[in-house]
Amino acid sequence: MEEKKEQKMKLDDAQRVRVLSPGMLVAKRFFRNRLAIVGLVIIVCMFLFAFLGGALIPYSQSQVFYTTDEMKKDYAGATYITDYQTFPAENVKLPKDSNSKTILAVTTGKLIFTSKEDRTFGLSPIGEGVYIMYELIPEEKDLSDTDGYLQAAEDETNVFEADGQIWLYEADGTDVTFYEATEAAVVCQRSFTPYEADTVFPYAFYCNVLKAMGDGETKVTVDGDTYTIVQDDESSAMIYDASGKEYAYVSDMNINSVVEGVFLTPAFKEVVREAIDAKVETFQYQDENGGNDKYILERKNNQYTIRRYQETKVIDTYASPSKEHPVGTDANGMDLLARLMYGGRISLLIGFVVVLIELLIGVIVGGVAGFFGGWVDNLLMRFVDIIYCIPAIPLYMILGSIMDYYQVSATLRIYLLCVVISIIGWVGIARIVRGQILSLREQEFMVAAEATGISVKRRIFKHLIPNVIPQLIVFATMGLGDIILTEASLSFLGLGIKYPAASWGSIINAVNDSYVMTNYVFVWIPAGLLILLTVLAFNFIGDGLRDAFDPKMKR
Amino acid sequence: MKKFILKRILISLVLLVFVTMIIYGIMRCMPTSFVENRARELATKPGSKSFDEWMVQLNAAYGLDVGVIQGYFAWAAKAVRGQFGDSWYWNQPVLQKFSSVIWYSFALSLASFMLEILIAIPAGIAAARKQYSMTDYVITVIALIGISLPSFFFATILKYIFSIKLGWFDLYGIVGRLHEQLSPAGKILDMAKHMVLPVITLTIVSVGSLMRYTRTNMLEVLNSDYIRTARAKGLSENRVVNHHAFRNTLIPIVTLLGGTLPGLFSGAMITETLFQIPGIGYTSYQCVMQGDIPFVMFYMLFSAILILLGNLIADVLYAVVDPRVRVN
Repeated sequence: MEEKKEQKMKLDDAQRVRVLSPGMLVAKRFFRNRLAIVGLVIIVCMFLFAFLGGALIPYSQSQVFYTTDEMKKDYAGATYITDYQTFPAENVKLPKDSNSKTILAVTTGKLIFTSKEDRTFGLSPIGEGVYIMYELIPEEKDLSDTDGYLQAAEDETNVFEADGQIWLYEADGTDVTFYEATEAAVVCQRSFTPYEADTVFPYAFYCNVLKAMGDGETKVTVDGDTYTIVQDDESSAMIYDASGKEYAYVSDMNINSVVEGVFLTPAFKEVVREAIDAKVETFQYQDENGGNDKYILERKNNQYTIRRYQETKVIDTYASPSKEHPVGTDANGMDLLARLMYGGRISLLIGFVVVLIELLIGVIVGGVAGFFGGWVDNLLMRFVDIIYCIPAIPLYMILGSIMDYYQVSATLRIYLLCVVISIIGWVGIARIVRGQILSLREQEFMVAAEATGISVKRRIFKHLIPNVIPQLIVFATMGLGDIILTEASLSFLGLGIKYPAASWGSIINAVNDSYVMTNYVFVWIPAGLLILLTVLAFNFIGDGLRDAFDPKMKR
Repeated sequence: MKKFILKRILISLVLLVFVTMIIYGIMRCMPTSFVENRARELATKPGSKSFDEWMVQLNAAYGLDVGVIQGYFAWAAKAVRGQFGDSWYWNQPVLQKFSSVIWYSFALSLASFMLEILIAIPAGIAAARKQYSMTDYVITVIALIGISLPSFFFATILKYIFSIKLGWFDLYGIVGRLHEQLSPAGKILDMAKHMVLPVITLTIVSVGSLMRYTRTNMLEVLNSDYIRTARAKGLSENRVVNHHAFRNTLIPIVTLLGGTLPGLFSGAMITETLFQIPGIGYTSYQCVMQGDIPFVMFYMLFSAILILLGNLIADVLYAVVDPRVRVN
């Protein structure tokens, strides 16, 4: 077929001017084939996409993208204070059991108790659930005729002042016992929140504020400073200092932050307290930075949890196509377009490298077998048969899992994959070359070549191989498509290219998760289309080349 | 003829020895062997022996305590007598497992083989009759798209459209959820329904090459002298194509199809795995992943025999169908 074109022609042959060279004829026929042109254009586009696109795109194939997501997070907890809090006076050291004794005293109503250390204490109520604790020394004197006592008895308090001294009495029927009392602590079910985190309240502050709240007063003086009390209800109040600035917040709830390093301001606590009273589920609070955050209040028995929507940085997985990521992102938050480009490089690279290796081995083995014939041919061809018999896909899978075990790096894996695919694939080329050479060997031009005494090497490489090249080109082009398919299948099964390197097959691998297949179509459709287009283009070109090289099939 | 077949069979036997030897060697190289995993699993049980002791015991039990070459000959000695041992992964004799799964694969392959013939040959002939017409281009492009489609991608698209969007078929498996409650006929229909998508996948992916092969051969025949003679003597175009050309086109096609007949048993590994059809392909996929040497060895040997048988059938058929060819 091809030999016709090889026929020598005289330099002054009249036909020469009209007849194109064989190569030109092939090219002319090739470019007349529309499908082949389409294939060529697609391949050029693929190369531009993979190599130029990969260089132009600002992202790399393994760059992880993050996004912020609103997440509900626990912010603070609030509970009603049921335990009595004791705020001791300066220089007073209370005994260890004072707290338990106090609770006992309050619940039994027996307001005087003796601690283990034989110290006597007495409680005097000054408001709802607020007591002042006095340390007592029993007094023999009968003070029942003093004005203070009479006044106290009338007011139903158990404390009075007489002779510049505070006294506490206990009435048991008509029997009255008097004690000399010294203020030791204030006991209450309130919490005090300072406006500034490092403010420490003096004892007098606790004492006076609670007294004032019990009496319903709006002004209180502590150590010469005057504070204004604005009571929200019986048990909670906001306290402003002389300049009208918020100073402290008193409440019957314990409100604590659960986030480390967050100081809850009195204003916030007041808002929380109001929200709890109003029994709402959400509330807003504007913090000092002007951020207006929405909080969620959840109640569980007596425990309130305050949660809030917080912006959290998370990996941007399966982001839908957007301006930043035209094809979206994958399971690892990597840009899919970049991965498609880099994956295309690998897929195309593997195709070409494998075809080159296959051609090299195939032409040598097939050429030697075909040219020498006899036992050399027999031996080599049986060897080819053995490899041809080995089922390819299971073998790739076994080799893939061997590579898995040795934890071959992603880059080395690409090269090993090339070697593995070409070691299996060269036999097809060897068979074609051998078949062609066997038939060419018997033709007259080879007899002539032998008769002119050309060396064996020259005969093979100058006269035989060029005649096989057309078939080789066609086979190699079609083979490129097959190899890309094989590599994609292997990567799809998870045995080919591995993360972080990308290949088109390994991108589609995501569909093994049916959720991804159903909901994130943009992850696998583009990769599949790219594989299809590339393989199709190689087949178009191969087809066009075959028609161009083999004019006998034409018309 | 007999001599030729006998010679081929003898050569094939020698080839099989080498093929199995290579595969056995590679399988034994697989470091994540089944035995290792099993020993690790057993060693974690309470009151168990150590991992090393289990390894020694299991290696002896599975016949892995000998070298690769000895191990191969031990395997081969049993294999020639038809004893392939027990599958490690399935815990039952290899042949029993094989016979329980092979018919799924065969049904799958047979259905797609028939569809292929029904689609490819008429389409190929139609394309050849009007070369370079619109029909020809369309058929060529469709055939090439079929060849170029990655089977896993096409299967995924089918699943997405027919299983997820339309809900006509199940995503995976050979039987539905209510399979056990169905009547015998219903059971068969249920299985057939589950085969639809895999059959479509296999058909579309492999129909292209047969279509193109038919077209090429038909073109060659239509360009031959006896067709010109037939036309010259005034036969109608239909008669020329359907009687004179078609019969001659059948020679290479029958040869090719005959050669692919053994392949009907070899299973479609990727398609079966994708649809989890419990045929030979999916079973072997699981075995390869688990390092189940007896089953994989059997499967590889079986596939190699099928390939050799296919070649032999093709060569013999070539001579039988076309009396012009003389076997030598």
